[in-house]
Amino acid sequence: MEVCECGEKSVAQAIEVFENSSLPFKKSKKLVTECNKSCCRGALLKIHDMSLYGRYDYEEIAFVIEQRQERLKRLNEGNE
Amino acid sequence: MYDYEWDRLRVWLEQYGAIPESVTKKEELTRLDLSKNNLKELPQEIGILSNLVVLNLANNKLTKLPESFAKLKALSNLDLRRNTFENIPESLFSLELRSLNLSSNRLDSLAFLEHFKELRVIDLSHNNIEKVDLSLEPNNQLRTLNLSHNFLRDIAALFESVPHLERLVLSTNFLQSIPESIGCMRALEELDISDNHLTSIDPVFFTLNIERLVLSGNQFGELKLEGLELLESLSLDENPLKYLEIKENFAPYLQEFSCDSCELDSLVLPPSIYLRSLCYASNHIKELPAEIEHYAVLQELDLEANEIVSLPDTLANMNSLHTLYIKDNPLNQDAKKVIEVLDPQICDIRMKTGVEIQKATSEDLEAMAKLLAVLFAIESDFEIDEQKQYMGIKRLYEDERSDLLVAKHEGKVVGMVTMQRLISSAEGDNVGQIEDLVVEEGYRKMGIGSRLINRMRSLAHQHGYKRIQLAADIHNDNALAFYTRRGFRKTHLNVYHYKVQEN
Repeated sequence: MEVCECGEKSVAQAIEVFENSSLPFKKSKKLVTECNKSCCRGALLKIHDMSLYGRYDYEEIAFVIEQRQERLKRLNEGNE
Repeated sequence: MYDYEWDRLRVWLEQYGAIPESVTKKEELTRLDLSKNNLKELPQEIGILSNLVVLNLANNKLTKLPESFAKLKALSNLDLRRNTFENIPESLFSLELRSLNLSSNRLDSLAFLEHFKELRVIDLSHNNIEKVDLSLEPNNQLRTLNLSHNFLRDIAALFESVPHLERLVLSTNFLQSIPESIGCMRALEELDISDNHLTSIDPVFFTLNIERLVLSGNQFGELKLEGLELLESLSLDENPLKYLEIKENFAPYLQEFSCDSCELDSLVLPPSIYLRSLCYASNHIKELPAEIEHYAVLQELDLEANEIVSLPDTLANMNSLHTLYIKDNPLNQDAKKVIEVLDPQICDIRMKTGVEIQKATSEDLEAMAKLLAVLFAIESDFEIDEQKQYMGIKRLYEDERSDLLVAKHEGKVVGMVTMQRLISSAEGDNVGQIEDLVVEEGYRKMGIGSRLINRMRSLAHQHGYKRIQLAADIHNDNALAFYTRRGFRKTHLNVYHYKVQEN
């Protein structure tokens, strides 16, 4: 499942980045996104927090990603 | 008289492992955790738990609650997060709940809140709420409200209903402005309104008593900061901010200020002399003003990814500054000398990249034994004997109950940690004993120890260990602070050794 369109990273790749970095979230997030945008911050923050304890709730990660997609859909509807 | 209802409920609770064997009477049950059980409904008998105070029903598939819920008169804290409620069951309305978690459900209205007169804390994040349709009595008890990750476009009607709120989270909605009606929120201490579409703030906002403010991820192109007399922390990250003005009366007690990933071409210094953390990373800043030295207690400065060529000499005199992020700037040689003289404990341009955490192999054992000498030089209880250390590490490596991790840089072992499986009679299960965490001196302050511990924690979860534990030398202040920061709690136990003499 893709978590970040900008950096074209999957959930598994984001986990790998966070596990291999001890930088603060703001900095390790940029390693995943390779950009300065905040579109996927919510999902990445969840994954980052989970990585600190080594225990991943994939259902919850999927829920946050799906909700973001729903948000984009509604935003587009609102702008039409 | 035999209590059939309690008997049936007890059997039902037992199948979910939710009731300790020590509980024999229904009156003894004050806390109940039924989370993560895929429950679609609860038995009517649950209403007999008249002393129940805390109930966790998170991560189930509930859409309704039994009518008998209305009898749980002692219930104060209810967690219904991650269920599928579209409406709030009426059986809850007569309860005097203090804390209610309804995050990640399918609610689309706030109107039900008027029934909860004693509520102090409510989490309604990740629902389908589009508009503010509540009317509460002005003297309501609500102090903490989380409405993040909903679909709100207008919050003007919210503030008058909750004038005593102290903490408000409105992040990730569709808000475009902070309206004038926020002026009635005189008790507000923390406001997170990040990841919206904000472009404007009503001037009355700057008269509030907010202490922590998050405005990240919005659409502010320009901003004029003033007032906010009690503000201690402000984040403006990820805004397309091209113009920032900070007035002299802005936040005199500010401690943290962050403008990460904006579009600023100059660095504006806040007037507070109490600033501890300042971040202007990922902007287009060309110069760090010499006035930076006025921040006598500044501990962390983040200027990564800008266009800075030179640094003021005054930076080298900032004795409190222990963390400096400055990589990805075209620094000249003089600037590098300033950093050398400053000598911060953590500095990204000194950090080594490509350090990998991996399971130890037989080829690593010799290097690990040598590394242990560094650790034992600090710990006065142990003697350095490389041969003994090698034998110990080799035995651990061969023991299936042990995990050994190493940090490697360009093929060289620069850090290590071990964990052994023990059986805890207190936990009634396996626990992990962490030992031998050490990082070579030239590789410290780069987060390698944290990564080793995080990876070991992950392995402990995989093994199903109930707890991980360790002992640290009481004179090793760095180690004690390190473990505390990573969530380890000091116990009341002392470790004793008895040396068994050889015959």
